Amino acid sequence: MQATLVNRFRESVAKHPDSLAVADSRQRVSYQVLSDLVGKVSHYLMSSGLQKGDRVAMVVANSAEYAGIFYGIWSAGGVTVALNTQAKAKDIINWVTHSDAKWLFMDRRHPEYKGVYEAGGEFTLIDVGGDDTGESDNINVDWQRIVDLEPANPRMLPGRSDLASIIYTSGTTGNPKGVTLSHGNLCANIESILAYLELRAEDSILNVLPFYYSYGNSILHTHLAIGGSMILQNSLLYPHRVMEKMSEEAVSGFSGVPSTFALLLSRVNIGDYDLSKLRYITQAGGPLAPALADRLSTALPHTELFIMYGQTEASARLTYLPPGMLEKKRGSIGIAIPNTTIEVRNKTDEVTAPGETGEICASGENIMQGYWKDQERTDQVLKDGWLYTGDLAHTDADGYLYIDGRSSDMIKSGANRISPKEIEEVIQELEDVHEVAVIGSPDEMLGEIIKAFVVLKQGSELKKRNIQRHCKNNLAIYKIPKSIAFIEELPKTASGKIKRFLLK
Amino acid sequence: MASISLTIKLSEHLENFMSTEATIRNYILENYLFTEDQSALDSADSFLDKGILDSTGILEVIYFLEDEFGIKVEDTEMVPENLDSVNNIVAFIGRKRQ
Repeated sequence: MQATLVNRFRESVAKHPDSLAVADSRQRVSYQVLSDLVGKVSHYLMSSGLQKGDRVAMVVANSAEYAGIFYGIWSAGGVTVALNTQAKAKDIINWVTHSDAKWLFMDRRHPEYKGVYEAGGEFTLIDVGGDDTGESDNINVDWQRIVDLEPANPRMLPGRSDLASIIYTSGTTGNPKGVTLSHGNLCANIESILAYLELRAEDSILNVLPFYYSYGNSILHTHLAIGGSMILQNSLLYPHRVMEKMSEEAVSGFSGVPSTFALLLSRVNIGDYDLSKLRYITQAGGPLAPALADRLSTALPHTELFIMYGQTEASARLTYLPPGMLEKKRGSIGIAIPNTTIEVRNKTDEVTAPGETGEICASGENIMQGYWKDQERTDQVLKDGWLYTGDLAHTDADGYLYIDGRSSDMIKSGANRISPKEIEEVIQELEDVHEVAVIGSPDEMLGEIIKAFVVLKQGSELKKRNIQRHCKNNLAIYKIPKSIAFIEELPKTASGKIKRFLLK
Repeated sequence: MASISLTIKLSEHLENFMSTEATIRNYILENYLFTEDQSALDSADSFLDKGILDSTGILEVIYFLEDEFGIKVEDTEMVPENLDSVNNIVAFIGRKRQ
């Protein structure tokens, strides 16, 4: 039997049928119950004509259903396309079309459901968690119809070389960027993470990270592969509640991006909660200020803090800083995870000397297959089996990595990687806008906030609010510029390229 | 006399309530819905369910309430029952002022 995440999940079910797999706001689901749901989803898809390698999209918030649908798609031989739940209908339709997904699982209560339903397309829409109205037709299948099915045995378990998932990252509407990962890519990365975190079946995590991003995705799979438990809390809006839940459930793990910790530490006194069972914390998704790391270590002296770094293109993880080195290697993202090789290379592709900045390059079984239907973009980042991450770093004499910046203009705000171009395209749609440039502006809480520089047409009286409203109507909430500056003209090079660094 | 004073107190209370509600509504409309259109927000709308605020948005709202109404929002008061809609905030401010 090939080592894949589907097989590892099946082993977890066999070993720990009654253990808690997922607890969400409505239910606590054991491995056996989750396995039954996986079988039902798989049954539905197979009987609906799914062929091996067919894409199946989902817009589902973190929940037991998310895990059931995800593994149900895999067990039926399909490829998962898990989409950002904050996206607007037009983006969802765009990704579903781009991936040629034939099914879309989506909650009827999602604010964009109506827009997706009305736009329609060459796919079957399945209401997840919708009320049973008894109405099912080709474009609208009730969840109840799936729940009522008998769990099916997998028809064709995927192998390591089979495509497993497409994850859409920071592309633009006209040019979506879908990272393709094989079952081998994901399984290799998950096994490396399990090794350095030393996760066991007894571990449980309180998870606030969305599963549709690669960081959250890795939390889902590590726990299901080992027989661990996930307690889901879908919002950080009320940090006090998150802490209460961590204490109440006596979890052994917690994961966040820098803004998660900035938010918690700003409004919560961690010492007020019993977190004696908390064995480890992981952090990825951008640099954590050493001062925040210090505050965490002081507040939780018995908890190990893992600083990590990765990319969706690497399945999730590339490096980690062993907790024992936190003090000695302050500000470092650590060393390569097991079974991955990292090199820092200069512009002529030579490995840099310690202290010299270059681009982080990585090789290993976790590196993606490429971008979906985009050979040109793939060739830009995958060369001779190496992933060129676009992140700049240097090593110290012991080989520990330190991030120096990014070679691209991508904005990193909270857990989100955002293409400035996508926002510029939307603002440019406004008739009164002559030109626009969008950048990431430093922010203590979010790492960066989105700032737009707008040049209005002569005589225009367009207000900041008009631009933000247009963005709200056309972009996910986290892509709305917090700050808008009206200027006379954009600084440009002689060839007309915007000099973004002058705007920062 | 007693009934006149009660009427005055009640009307003051109602005025206070109205202005608190209007202040909060306008702040949310202006900063998160980017509009003056009062029909864009129902005072009972859940900020979380309607996707009006994210986790940093709620912190901004708290700083606004602390500045505008001179109250201190304790960490333990950061719960949806106090903050998840205009109505909840108005009631919360009312309790804080008592």
